Amino acid sequence: MRLVERRRLRLRLRDLAAGSAFSAVALSGALPAPVAAIFGVSFVLSLLGKRPFAQQRAWSVVVLLAMALVLFGLVSRGVLDLVVAAVGFASLVTAHRMLSEPSATTDQQVLLASLLLMAGAAALSGDVWYAACLLAFGVFACLSLGLTVVEGPIERDEELPLAPVLRQVSIGVAIALAGGIAFFILFPRLSWNVAARRTGPGLLGGTTGMSDRVRLGGGGDIKTSARVVLRATLEPSPKTDRLDRYWVGRHFDAFDGREWRGSGTAAAPVPRVMLGELRGALVQRIELLPAYASRTLVGLAQPVAYGTALALGNTGSTSTPLVKVGAEEVRFSTDANAYTYVAYSRTDYPMLEEDLAVLEAARALPEDLDPKVSELAARIVDQATEPEQVAAVLELWLQRNLSYTLELPGEVDDPLTDFLFERKEGHCEHFATALAVMLRTRGIPARVVGGFFGGERVGERFVVRAGDAHAWVEAYSPVRGWMTFDATPESGRGSRPQAVLAGLIDAYERLEELWRSRVVDYSLVDQWEFARRLVRPPNGAGTDDDDDGPTPVGASRTRTPTRAIFVAGAAGLIALFLVRRLTRPGARTHPASGFLVQLERRLDGLHVPRRPGEDLEALSLRLQEEHHRLAAPVGRATRRYLEARFGQRPLSKEERRSLLAALERSRR
Amino acid sequence: MTRPPSWRRKLKATRVGRTYLVLTVGIGLGALNTGNNLLYLVLGFLLAIIVLSGVLSERVIADVRVRRILPEGAFAHEPFALRYEVTRTRGRAFAIRVCEAGGTLEGWAWIPTVLEGSPVTVRADVTAPRRGPLRLRQVEISTFFPFGLFEKSRTVEVDDLLLVWPRRGYCCDPPDSDAGHLTGENGNQRHRDGGGDVQGLRELGDLEDARRVHWKKSATVGKLLKVEREREDRKQYTLTIESDAPGDPLERACEETAALTNRLLAAGNDVGLEAGGRKIRPASGPGHEKRILSALASLGYALPARSAPR
Repeated sequence: MRLVERRRLRLRLRDLAAGSAFSAVALSGALPAPVAAIFGVSFVLSLLGKRPFAQQRAWSVVVLLAMALVLFGLVSRGVLDLVVAAVGFASLVTAHRMLSEPSATTDQQVLLASLLLMAGAAALSGDVWYAACLLAFGVFACLSLGLTVVEGPIERDEELPLAPVLRQVSIGVAIALAGGIAFFILFPRLSWNVAARRTGPGLLGGTTGMSDRVRLGGGGDIKTSARVVLRATLEPSPKTDRLDRYWVGRHFDAFDGREWRGSGTAAAPVPRVMLGELRGALVQRIELLPAYASRTLVGLAQPVAYGTALALGNTGSTSTPLVKVGAEEVRFSTDANAYTYVAYSRTDYPMLEEDLAVLEAARALPEDLDPKVSELAARIVDQATEPEQVAAVLELWLQRNLSYTLELPGEVDDPLTDFLFERKEGHCEHFATALAVMLRTRGIPARVVGGFFGGERVGERFVVRAGDAHAWVEAYSPVRGWMTFDATPESGRGSRPQAVLAGLIDAYERLEELWRSRVVDYSLVDQWEFARRLVRPPNGAGTDDDDDGPTPVGASRTRTPTRAIFVAGAAGLIALFLVRRLTRPGARTHPASGFLVQLERRLDGLHVPRRPGEDLEALSLRLQEEHHRLAAPVGRATRRYLEARFGQRPLSKEERRSLLAALERSRR
Repeated sequence: MTRPPSWRRKLKATRVGRTYLVLTVGIGLGALNTGNNLLYLVLGFLLAIIVLSGVLSERVIADVRVRRILPEGAFAHEPFALRYEVTRTRGRAFAIRVCEAGGTLEGWAWIPTVLEGSPVTVRADVTAPRRGPLRLRQVEISTFFPFGLFEKSRTVEVDDLLLVWPRRGYCCDPPDSDAGHLTGENGNQRHRDGGGDVQGLRELGDLEDARRVHWKKSATVGKLLKVEREREDRKQYTLTIESDAPGDPLERACEETAALTNRLLAAGNDVGLEAGGRKIRPASGPGHEKRILSALASLGYALPARSAPR
């Protein structure tokens, strides 16, 4: 490959390495849009070979410094996080270097700045695509560096075969990656292993259905979203793949005919909020992901306590107090990108006694409520008076007589009347509103609850998607307290993602789960466990819980000493192979030797007489002395072989073919 | 001076390598401080790259043989071409730099790639730091492969002796020729009769000997033409260096003598040398200049005995 082609290849690899590092940062969603745009333009220009800063070094540096001042000015004003600003500046430096005059030094500067980007991305994100970006960066950067090194201090326009270089560097990169993973596994974690920083909801933004108000008339697009907003580990863990339970978020008790609002004032922040009796409660270790984008805590119905909350922001993870709003809603006191906390839930409702003011508010009807609603409720309920009975009758009627749909026309004057008497179809908010208002018309306190319905197992945890957002009703009975009723037909309760999309998201989630459990949350405990399993694998694994339901993904069922020994042996063999490959290169034959073999075969095929021990050179001389018809082509082929083998003049494939074809032609 | 054993390797971080190390330490501290596992992952990769650099670079420089091809002559402080024949005994090698160990000669040669069994001859433009016999004992083979972060080098025993001639510095007017204090026409170059074959004709200059006018040709062209002969203006000079005591005066004398020799020989004179108890009779020609330069090179030095080939 000539110098121009080599340089082009090297710069492409360099730019791709920088692009990979930048992708790791950009996909975290934390980078300011102007910085991302500048880098994107620079990347494209560099790939196209345009280098506007090559002749404008001074002013380009001035512009770069000005941008640095702007970024860090934003930091000092509290608008931008310091890490984000630093990563943004590293992006700008990388872009600047990419558009400067290419040289070995410039290339190295680009790659070192890109390495800073990778480190910054590690601080800004914890998602699985970081691994892909790191892998791409490692491969491209190492290949680029390898080409720079072989080029030498002075570029010379001479033919240089790059395939062996790239091959050897590639093998080296593979070994380096394996070594990096080994280091990752074995290096003792000397610090507290806290979860990685999050950067916000990412490029797709927050998608949660948890909002301050529930306004009727809106669409139901969120039901098709497959984004995961919540991950929970349950103790004890149910032996099922689908939970199909309610995750309580907010209570809405004030309805004005168009929208529901919550009432209640915020209490002082406390580290732990108790809502009821803890005994026998189901423990949930919940992680609210950036896509959730809300400060309200959720827990399986019915939550009785929340605590041990950590806010994961741009400055790392910090403990965050909780604020109780009204009687039952609990919120984080600080804004963050993501949260972790522990929730405790019981299947029965925590409170039997309720404040009269609360009950009175839960009976209030909108002033302009259409009398037809009350009449309809009365007609359905008929003679029933007990709250449970009334609620059950109304719930059943709504489920059977009205249908679920996400296709809504938009705003209407009276959405409830429209739902009940005109269109007779709606989504969960319409059903919940109808049930709550009809209960209130019968004098029964009722309120709408916003949260999620569902939960599916991914690995050892349950995930809840944005599409699982749901609304249902709680009705109060003086005997049994608040009870849950859901007028929405069963088909409309869970998420409704498209099958293909859901499949893709599921695969991604499993990968993400694996990444998170094996990499992001890898800790000293895991290291200890890993070492313990290597030394003393658990006995009888795979036989104890055969009847206990499906084995969680990622859990091994057959960890036996034999397997451990087999894995260790295989790893040893691979290591031995790689070491041998490095220390004793397999390519012992010269590239020209292949041509010699071909040539001799061809001569045998042409029945050229050979004397015992006669090498190719001697044969060529003899043929010339004998004025053999093949003397000329054999002479040319012999000379080129000797030049290629001993004279540093490589033989191209085309030349090989041409020389062998000349032999064939001479025979005719 | 003690020489490093041939198994010993020298490892030096390049400029980008030093920055890389600083970044690695920084990322390591960040990982330890935050417990961020992704930083641990990056750190692991960076450390693995360092280890890999050591392994691959060792592979490159381990199986290399070098032979030095000395030039016919070399002047001190002036670049000259020194050639190395590099042979790979096993596998391929990339990005090899060859130079003299210990900085005996300044300069190096670069070889992008060497194939097994195919010797590569490369040229290094090197500069000798001083006049005199220079013992070249070891060649340093180094590489930046694979990533340019570190330079790893080893030394190979290759014993040679290079006689470095003195630099041809500034010289004053030539001294009197050996036939100095001449009287009459006999010593005057303008009146000396030339010898040897005829080289050509030219117009007679002022005060030149009219006996060497080619009258026939002059009559033909209408002006006086002089016959030039091969050995017409040759003189003999014997340059002398009185003292061979080492020091700056000797160095300056050698440089001046070398320059003078070159100038006089170029002017067609015979030049001899008398220095350090050695006498070279006046003669001419490029071979003779090398003899004088070699004598000057060894002036003040005892020529070391060449060690037995290994």
